[in-house]
Amino acid sequence: MQVTGMLYGAKLLRFVGFPSAEVLGADASEEEIGALIERCGQVFVKPVFKGGVGKKGKAGLLGRARDLKTALAEKERLYFAKHTYGTQTAKANGVTFEGGVPAEHEVYFSITDSTRYRAPMMTLSCHGGMDIEEVDGNLIAQVPFDPLTGLKAFVVANALSALNAPKAIISPLVQQLPKLWELYHGFGMTTLELNPIRMKEDGKGRLIPVACDFKCGFDRDDPRWQRLNLPANLFAVDYSDFEQEINQLRTYQGQSDVYVINPSGTILAPTFGGGANSLVSELLGDDAIISSDFGGNPPYEKMKEVARICFKHWLKQANVLFIIGGKSNNTDIFETFRAIADALREHFSRHGPTPLYVVIGRGGPNLVRGMGAMRDTFDALGLPYRIFAFDSDISEVIQYARAVDEWMKAGGREQIAASLGVAKSAAA
Amino acid sequence: MRMPGLPDFPYYVGVGSLAHVATREDRVCVLNILGGESSEVTPVGHAYSGGNVVFGTAPGKRGQVLETPAGPIPVYNNVLEGLNEGHRFNCGVVYLPPSAARDGVAELIRVNPELRKIFIVTEKMAVHDSREIRALGQQNGIDIFGGNSLGVADAWNRVRIGGALGGDHPEEALRRGSIAIFSNSGNFTTTIATYLRMAGWGTTTLISSGKDVYIHFAAAEFAYALDHDPRSKAAVLYAEPGGFYERDVDFGKPVVACVVGRWKKKLTRAVGHAGAMSGGDDDAIAKERWFLDKFGVDDIFTPERPVFSARGAVVTNIAHIPAALTAVMDQNGVAPDFKPEGSLALKPWFASNVGCRLPAELDLPVVTAMAPYDEQIARINRQIGATLPRQNMKDASGASQMDAQTQVTALHGTSMLDAAQHPLEANIGLALLHEPGGENDRKLVSLAVGAEINLHGTAPLIAAQAARTAGNAPNSIAAAALAIVGPNRVERARRAAKLLIDIGTAAGVLDALDETVDIPVSAVDADERQLLLTTAPDVRAEALLAGFEARGARSVFVRWLRKLGNPDANAVLAAITTTLAWGPLRRKRISRYTAESLPWWMCLFGTQIGASVEAEKHVSDAFCGIAMTDLLGKRSLTEIACIALLGQEPSAADLFAFQTLVGLLLSNGPGSITGQGAKGAVSADGPDTPARVQLNKAMLGFLSHSGYAHGGNGYEGVAFLIERFADIGLTDPGNAAHGIDLAAHATAFARRYGEDRATRKNVGAEQAQALPCINHPVFKGKPVNVDPREAFVHELFRQRGEYNVFHEYYRALVQALYEENVTRNVFCVNVDAVIAALLLKMLWRRYRNGSLSSAALEAAAFTVFLYGRMIGSAAEIDDHANRGKNMDTRTPQSACRFVA
Repeated sequence: MQVTGMLYGAKLLRFVGFPSAEVLGADASEEEIGALIERCGQVFVKPVFKGGVGKKGKAGLLGRARDLKTALAEKERLYFAKHTYGTQTAKANGVTFEGGVPAEHEVYFSITDSTRYRAPMMTLSCHGGMDIEEVDGNLIAQVPFDPLTGLKAFVVANALSALNAPKAIISPLVQQLPKLWELYHGFGMTTLELNPIRMKEDGKGRLIPVACDFKCGFDRDDPRWQRLNLPANLFAVDYSDFEQEINQLRTYQGQSDVYVINPSGTILAPTFGGGANSLVSELLGDDAIISSDFGGNPPYEKMKEVARICFKHWLKQANVLFIIGGKSNNTDIFETFRAIADALREHFSRHGPTPLYVVIGRGGPNLVRGMGAMRDTFDALGLPYRIFAFDSDISEVIQYARAVDEWMKAGGREQIAASLGVAKSAAA
Repeated sequence: MRMPGLPDFPYYVGVGSLAHVATREDRVCVLNILGGESSEVTPVGHAYSGGNVVFGTAPGKRGQVLETPAGPIPVYNNVLEGLNEGHRFNCGVVYLPPSAARDGVAELIRVNPELRKIFIVTEKMAVHDSREIRALGQQNGIDIFGGNSLGVADAWNRVRIGGALGGDHPEEALRRGSIAIFSNSGNFTTTIATYLRMAGWGTTTLISSGKDVYIHFAAAEFAYALDHDPRSKAAVLYAEPGGFYERDVDFGKPVVACVVGRWKKKLTRAVGHAGAMSGGDDDAIAKERWFLDKFGVDDIFTPERPVFSARGAVVTNIAHIPAALTAVMDQNGVAPDFKPEGSLALKPWFASNVGCRLPAELDLPVVTAMAPYDEQIARINRQIGATLPRQNMKDASGASQMDAQTQVTALHGTSMLDAAQHPLEANIGLALLHEPGGENDRKLVSLAVGAEINLHGTAPLIAAQAARTAGNAPNSIAAAALAIVGPNRVERARRAAKLLIDIGTAAGVLDALDETVDIPVSAVDADERQLLLTTAPDVRAEALLAGFEARGARSVFVRWLRKLGNPDANAVLAAITTTLAWGPLRRKRISRYTAESLPWWMCLFGTQIGASVEAEKHVSDAFCGIAMTDLLGKRSLTEIACIALLGQEPSAADLFAFQTLVGLLLSNGPGSITGQGAKGAVSADGPDTPARVQLNKAMLGFLSHSGYAHGGNGYEGVAFLIERFADIGLTDPGNAAHGIDLAAHATAFARRYGEDRATRKNVGAEQAQALPCINHPVFKGKPVNVDPREAFVHELFRQRGEYNVFHEYYRALVQALYEENVTRNVFCVNVDAVIAALLLKMLWRRYRNGSLSSAALEAAAFTVFLYGRMIGSAAEIDDHANRGKNMDTRTPQSACRFVA
């Protein structure tokens, strides 16, 4: 859950009274854009990506215009720009026009939670405007501070002194930067980065820090971000329909984390436990449809609903239903298995049988009763299965599921389809 | 102001040795002790730890207790109340919801100066709260474990605090040994301990650190405490991507580090552990590198390529931990703590291939589970039959389903088109056993039902004949007979079936056809022998057994009964039905209730077929001219029923046509009127107590919901065809060389029909009646319309080389109606035409030679419907009795209408 760019960044900064560059959205009229250029001398035209997208400038996805014609041309060029970074590709939908801020000094500022210090940490550099990773370490101050007192003026002042910052920028930054802690801590952020902050001169020759780019990440387990009234669709791009359905069930009682790995995968693996999730995702690779963690002792109703949604979206294409976890400590196996079994039975009732091989690996309280419920359901539905317990190597169980998937692709699916009396269906 | 802690840390750490993480002296207060999770987990931990929880809190619940095997734990509204009552504790456990966890921590610290450790089980805490909790702990000198931790445990001290490590049987995972465990995953903490035992390694202290962004008691603190714990010779550390907790840690003792999560680099947000998101240089590969460097090794340890040093090894798969640890410790001259307890080889506890051919490497046989699971599995294996969840079954069915597109109904997954190719006895299997069964099953069904068909000298026959004489339709006649076949008539057979299922289960019968299985005679006591046996040979039983032998049927239960003595006829019937039920019962395809009801069903089917025939055809030693020895020992049920319908010996073609008719008529889904009648009858008896459901009355429900318009309407098509072929001189409808120009014949009728319709329209008279058996509300609107069921049957008979002039006439008629502009497109010939054509073809000769009246022909059309629907209704009744709830078919008042 990230927000980048000044379109929403400026609004968020207004909450704490931190100055920001003037910004117009894609719906700005030509008159408004022209007026902005006139006021600021130039505008930067930036494509709008949902979520967190970095290194746009390097990719040439930044337009600069000193006249309306150029600004509109850049708008046309960048409106639906595509941007590939790492393994991800994002597509823009809109642009912003950000007024240029003339300044001599550019500053980098961020707050994150540091696992080195186990405290919130401010990162500050007087060499803003470029990726912080490219700035010499000696020119960067990283200062942890006490969250109970917050980011105080003296923390900023000490850091700027240590950096030998130009005198003119120290006072305005010491006055303004602590405000950002309120935004960070008070609205459920996990990262906040302003880069650059340009030190603009006011009419009286004093410098004012003006945020010219904005990036923040929110903690989805922290309801404080909801106070900001950000539009829901700002984050929607992060989630597929399936993920959104599952996310609606997200409560503290039981995990319901999912991530679609491969929408055309063939192993549907509801996974229990964060550790199992790591191992299973690692070993199944792209054969897996989803990466998930449904551990944390979910109640029957929630587990059944989670399973129902998983089956609705993915069962038809799945060769293997692979229910996997380690030896649970507190997750009641009978409750969770009974819920999954009932959801499977109902799915078959509603949508008809589908060729499927079930592999289970699990341990924990009420194990045998849970396995018995599963067995009875699979027997009743006419599905083949192997149920392993915690005394079988979990990685071998995962490999077994993969081998079954291969067998299904090599004719097993037809065999099961024939025994169920249904067409093979789905591409497997 | 920070509290002073261990001098080796620049921040506060109080616990200097793993031996002090969880001790017998620790006293615990649990916040939200009565919450869903705590109320299950705390009693187990409390008992395992010798009673270490002094009290718990739950707002507004002061005075309550949490019962545990080690005695009740008192509950107070808040921490202060507990302290004021004189309780003292040094450990706080937080089971609060995420929004309250931070305040819980603050309160524990605020009111209890003796507090030293806090364990936070809560997951999904906001990072905001975690950072404040960290600061609170640091300021006040408190060691904090978690959040999202499953707490800690100590196998030496037999203590666990703050979570569920080891699950509901901690001693299963926690065996005293020399290895400490520190894990980002709570589940893997226990799983790793279990794996270590397999290789002979026990444990000292286990810490589930949690994997939030903030880990308060982290790798550095663990390493220090490990070095200062004389009990721990080495450690296993399980780490996931994200965070720099492990980077600068120095271990003074050997460590096997398991780093999992290379793949997670692809994720753009956390799944599972909130903190398991790398920012770049803290991903899994970076972490692997950190540990490789620490241990002085250059690669990951795998069983195939074991790379390790005396300092440690890095694995990326938790299953490799035991082997890596053994190798590292061997290098240090340290042997395992005890003899390995097992292996991690694949061991299925439950398995099924459902008849699929699996390659050998996948076809793993079931192995006996370790104690105590073996006994638990044996116990559930003794439970036989499926148990279905009860629900409202109004307009719902677990037996039949109509495909909205094709209008073809499937019964237990078998479409009516396929069922039409099975003999009647196989479809009985399909209805009640959920599978058509094999050759032996067909013999047994034919025998069991056949034995009930001859009603000579019985009340049901008298009732049926009385009903017939009174002018009732075939459904009412059958109902009169079935009303008498009430529960008392089959009570003995049902009890016998129940007993035989118990005996078979106890004897471990896997295959009821495997007659080499030896059930001891001693399996029954005196009372049970009385139920199964008679003193003198029972004539009916002997006849059944003779039929059984003559058919060459197989059954463990029948053989065993014979060995036991002179069986009672009810017991023989029960033995036959239990044999039929055994496979589906064991495979959980059917419930025990269904298996125990089978004798009743056999009686009901036999009675209905028998009652469809005039009383005079039932004599003491024959039915419809079939000698009882043949009926029991030779004839298939399809043959018997076909003779009952036709009144004469059928040809092979007749038999095939008959079974096709019965199959097509089995079911039309739970929405059909017969289905509604049957289900309503079950619902009214109260299926919550299925033993009280009167199956015969439920069949009356089906019968009362059939009639001249539903079931009897098959005759409309027959009557129409008779009219069309009355003056043509057709002798053999199966002979394609009949010399009739069907197209011209159909065109002539179509033209007449069209003219008549136009005339009626012009004079404003009542509209001409719609032609029976053509058009369909679903299969319409195209230039040429086809009912797929009709097309299927047409093709089926074409492939058999069988011709049916009536069927062909219908096909010519729809074409002619279109060509004569009577219809706007080519209507379909619907499945009712198939039924009419098949039936009329079978009975044509008798009708033509006058031995069959129109009334009898109409009765036959109705009867064949009842034969088929009898089977489908039985499936519906059985399904509703197994799944339904009392009175679940009623319609709520709000859905009812008043019409003025």
